[in-house]
Amino acid sequence: MRVVQGLAALAAGLMLSGAAQAGPSPEEVFDTNTRLALELVRHTPTASPPVASRAFAYLYVTAYETVAAGSDDLLSLAGQLNDLTPGPVREANLPYDDAVALEAALATVLRELFSNTGPTGQRALDHLSRHLAEGVAEGLAPDLVDRSRAQGEATARHILAWADGDGGSTIENMGFPMTYDPGKAPGTWVPTSRIVQQQAPLLPGWGTNRTFAMPDGAACPLPPPPAYSEDPASAFMAEAREVLDARRDMAPEQQAIARFWSDDPMLSSTPPGHWISIAQQVLDEQEADLETRVELMARLGVAMADAFIGCWHEKFRYNLIRPVTYIRAHLDPAFEPLLITPPFPEYPSGHSTQSAAAATVLEAAFGADHAFVDATHEDDGLPARQFPSFWAAAEEAALSRLYGGIHFRSAIEMGLEQGRCVGAHAIALRTRR
Amino acid sequence: MIRASILIGLLATAARAEDLTIPTFVEETDASGVLSSYDGDWEYMVGGGVAAFDCSGDGFPDLALAGGTSPASLWRNRSAQGGPLRFEKVESGIEMEAVTGAYPLDIDGDGQQDLMLLRQGESALMRGLGDCRFERANASWSFQAQSAWGSAFSATWEDGQDWPTLAVGSYIDPGEEFFPWGSCTDNVLYRPDGRRFATPAPLSPSFCALSMLFTDWDRSGTPSLRIANDREYFKGGQEQMWRLPPGGDPTLYTAEDGWKPLRIWGMGIASRDLDLDGYPEYALSSMADNKLQTLAQAPLDGSSAPRPDYVDVAFPKHAIAQRPYTGDDVRPSTAWHVEFADVNNDARPDLFIAKGNVDQMPDFAAEDPNNLLLLQADGTFREAGLEAGVASMGVSRGATLADLNLDGRPDLVVTNRRANAQVWRNTTPGAGHWLELRLRQDGGNRDAVGAWIEVRLPDGVHSREVTVGGGQAGGAMGWWHMGLGSAAEAEVRVLWPDGREGDWEALPADGFYVLSPDAPASRWSPG
Repeated sequence: MRVVQGLAALAAGLMLSGAAQAGPSPEEVFDTNTRLALELVRHTPTASPPVASRAFAYLYVTAYETVAAGSDDLLSLAGQLNDLTPGPVREANLPYDDAVALEAALATVLRELFSNTGPTGQRALDHLSRHLAEGVAEGLAPDLVDRSRAQGEATARHILAWADGDGGSTIENMGFPMTYDPGKAPGTWVPTSRIVQQQAPLLPGWGTNRTFAMPDGAACPLPPPPAYSEDPASAFMAEAREVLDARRDMAPEQQAIARFWSDDPMLSSTPPGHWISIAQQVLDEQEADLETRVELMARLGVAMADAFIGCWHEKFRYNLIRPVTYIRAHLDPAFEPLLITPPFPEYPSGHSTQSAAAATVLEAAFGADHAFVDATHEDDGLPARQFPSFWAAAEEAALSRLYGGIHFRSAIEMGLEQGRCVGAHAIALRTRR
Repeated sequence: MIRASILIGLLATAARAEDLTIPTFVEETDASGVLSSYDGDWEYMVGGGVAAFDCSGDGFPDLALAGGTSPASLWRNRSAQGGPLRFEKVESGIEMEAVTGAYPLDIDGDGQQDLMLLRQGESALMRGLGDCRFERANASWSFQAQSAWGSAFSATWEDGQDWPTLAVGSYIDPGEEFFPWGSCTDNVLYRPDGRRFATPAPLSPSFCALSMLFTDWDRSGTPSLRIANDREYFKGGQEQMWRLPPGGDPTLYTAEDGWKPLRIWGMGIASRDLDLDGYPEYALSSMADNKLQTLAQAPLDGSSAPRPDYVDVAFPKHAIAQRPYTGDDVRPSTAWHVEFADVNNDARPDLFIAKGNVDQMPDFAAEDPNNLLLLQADGTFREAGLEAGVASMGVSRGATLADLNLDGRPDLVVTNRRANAQVWRNTTPGAGHWLELRLRQDGGNRDAVGAWIEVRLPDGVHSREVTVGGGQAGGAMGWWHMGLGSAAEAEVRVLWPDGREGDWEALPADGFYVLSPDAPASRWSPG
């Protein structure tokens, strides 16, 4: 009998009273590794939002394939995800333990995906994987443990070999080119910070990475943003003025929204981590079983990773100026956005695209009117927020970028459109027999 | 307390245009005899401080070095004035393991420097007995040390007190094996209870402090406590500054006061008035880009109090020190100890930054040279570490720029993780004139911590605050060095912690002076 618990309760049970209970269940193994992954994303310098989305995708595809290999219900994603070939199969008529296999698979893939994390992350990876591995093996026959562990590790290696050729496996200089010519045409992106690395944009080639479920980075194209103009009567100027007015007349609720969805790298688990956390909370509330968990998370990870590839494809196609640059030049030299302006072009909004993709997946799983409470940032002192639906949350996440002073309205509205398109590819994956 | 001379100084700064003297340092590590490594694994990834102070009474700075899993060590200075740097290890009573940092101060006002030893575990106050011997004084001074990862320290004497107030910073809860993030343990404040310490009070919230500094940032006469916090481990945190009204509870400066959220890998704090406006700038070390903060609006006429609203000028001032400036490693740097010192005596404080990877972090430079940023006449900094001979690629942590051979030029000691500390003698030819000043007053605060030393030169008033704290896990007490440039003499005065203003007194350059309230300066010579 399995008991599915929330993350906090899981952690308490695993860490503080682990010796008094049986080994962790597969669900506990899965959720504890999710918690670790969220922390590693926050504390690994290269884990910008695109890179984090890729890590989540491979982590959860690994989990899914590990569980699917022993499932009567789940279909492998091999042949559905681009270039993913069938992985190791379990030997017929021999028993496997899902918890052991899953722990081995997730530990292997996390160690590789976060091989560059700092000493504290490495220490946590070592200690936690050893703790979980010992726990799941407790009371099991050694040959069962060895066989299950080998199966999990083989699956992880298969996924990692597949990941290696996607264009996103090597991140140098934290994703910033050593040299970059932003161009001089009016309206093009220019650096917005005084941080040395950020004098070049983040990951300009990310849009050409291999996608997961959608055909390629150009599969969900967007129309151009409003034509760049410095004419006071232009649509472009009107959008800039809206950002400026929002900053000047910001209500406390709008400020709270901006901060809740800020999801800054190195200070949070980033926007994709935020949606992983939302999904985790909903799964816990639903007391979902293991197959439901890995199925949802794999789909969600794939959707968000594709969203960043598609979004980056468009960002560097249009290479649009950020509000802070335009507003200071033409409307208010003293303009200070509420949020830190990310170091890459403006259109479309990455948070909008990936939030819409995530909401599309979650809606498909739980329904269009599924209300939920999001307590992702309580540890950081931001109170939980309630949402009537996943799409409402995505729309709020998108609008938060306007309140934050880092995006124009077109970028958030079209980002939502793009995310819906990307998400459709993820929910088209066949996961059940 | 801001003077009208501030404005004059500010205007004059732009006129300084003398040539830049590139300093030279000669490494004398082997000959110096200093043999001390900051050892240990994860529990010692931060810390590694060095203290410079005179425990023997001969006027030469001695050294106390943290050893991590190796014993801390005390090195008596045997150098001759102007000669090579020579040290002798002495049994002092501080030879305990798990020491992460060391700060000197005279807690009990007996004229002997005491030592705060930050530790992984229970930190220790070591009472100086003279002749470089110490005894543990936690019990006798009612210092209720926390069992924590000691990582930062600062001290001040609050208004009317003969006993110091101590702030002790702590880092991660080392017992959090799996999820240490967000486990920052509370920093604590020890205030006086007569001639001992009262029960400490938490400075909550705490965000994994790596440097603390009591500093009179607004020249109000009441220092506040700046804390550099490591964003790697806090949740919901930021850089902090506590106001500490005498007798009142500490309260944080907030956005309503003008304090802007800043979230960095805060590792070290150094302060000095660089632009001669009377208010200190603050160098904050971090990973990748470092910060140099100046008040957004300094009230030049002294008629109003500034708001704690700082802008970062590291980028335009070329003080970012973001990545190695020599070698083949182009990954971002990791900065620890920061300290201002005028190494070429051109009357412009220079900035030294100790660099070194946390521990095999592949996204950050492994070959990470220490920086020596020379302040130029135009207010910008110029890297001179390689030319000066201090571009060590050791995995550095703490440092001190004390004048170890009393020749008027700040020397350099840098601690390294899992490797021997390094010692350099400043041999800069053609360095400018200088003064070295020691403060002496009656009462508990004998070294006048909290005083401001002012030196009037043709370009304005150069001021420095006498502090205990900052840097990376180590500090100095003793001679306060001021470069004078071409000036053969300078007017000097002290603004004492109790508010007394010393008289301006012209002092011939290139000498050591002991300054006391209501008395002329007393020239000092070694031997």
